[in-house]
Amino acid sequence: MAKSMLIISRQAPWNGPSAREALDIALAGGAFDLPLGMLFLDDGVFQLAPHQQPAAVQQKNLAANLQALPMFGVEALFACQHSLALRGLAADTLALPVDVLDDAALQALIARFDQVVTL
Amino acid sequence: MPTLHVISHSPFGDERLISCLRLLGSEDGLLLCGDAVYALHDGSETQRLLQAAGLGQRLFALDEDLQARAITGGLAKVVDYRAFVALSLHYDKVNSWL
Repeated sequence: MAKSMLIISRQAPWNGPSAREALDIALAGGAFDLPLGMLFLDDGVFQLAPHQQPAAVQQKNLAANLQALPMFGVEALFACQHSLALRGLAADTLALPVDVLDDAALQALIARFDQVVTL
Repeated sequence: MPTLHVISHSPFGDERLISCLRLLGSEDGLLLCGDAVYALHDGSETQRLLQAAGLGQRLFALDEDLQARAITGGLAKVVDYRAFVALSLHYDKVNSWL
């Protein structure tokens, strides 16, 4: 049985390649049927903000990649409640359906995966 | 499954340390290396934060990075690279905050 891995993505979407690369790892892993989860933490939650227009800064939209996660079998998607609240993002407006977790639930989440990487 | 969290970025102007402390499980360990050892600087806000977190024997700092920056380990258990490797084997997994 393949080891499960949680990818914690904590970078805002348009300031460098980190957000896209974390997403690429998740999509590649999903394509190989690896049991993956993805957690959006800190500025990473800005990836989930609705109505973004990255073309204005000559960037490709991440929305299509985000929407592709469930299609690639990556259905365990989470966001940090504290990070969302701090940034004024409401859970019901996000561009992708995610489970919003408080700190205690996040501790349990990290504990239950075999491997964790924070990008 | 206890996790060893490894941070190597300075905690000043960066959220990694604060977020890590929020997500740290009751059996998880935290190892500071590179610029993250600045968190242990005497009199700093982050030192108070780590003290308040009360990690006890679960807080580690890499000796050579402390020496290079003239920082005393204080709160943390000071470890060399051999002990770092041993710790990474002792815990079920390592979460590097890249």
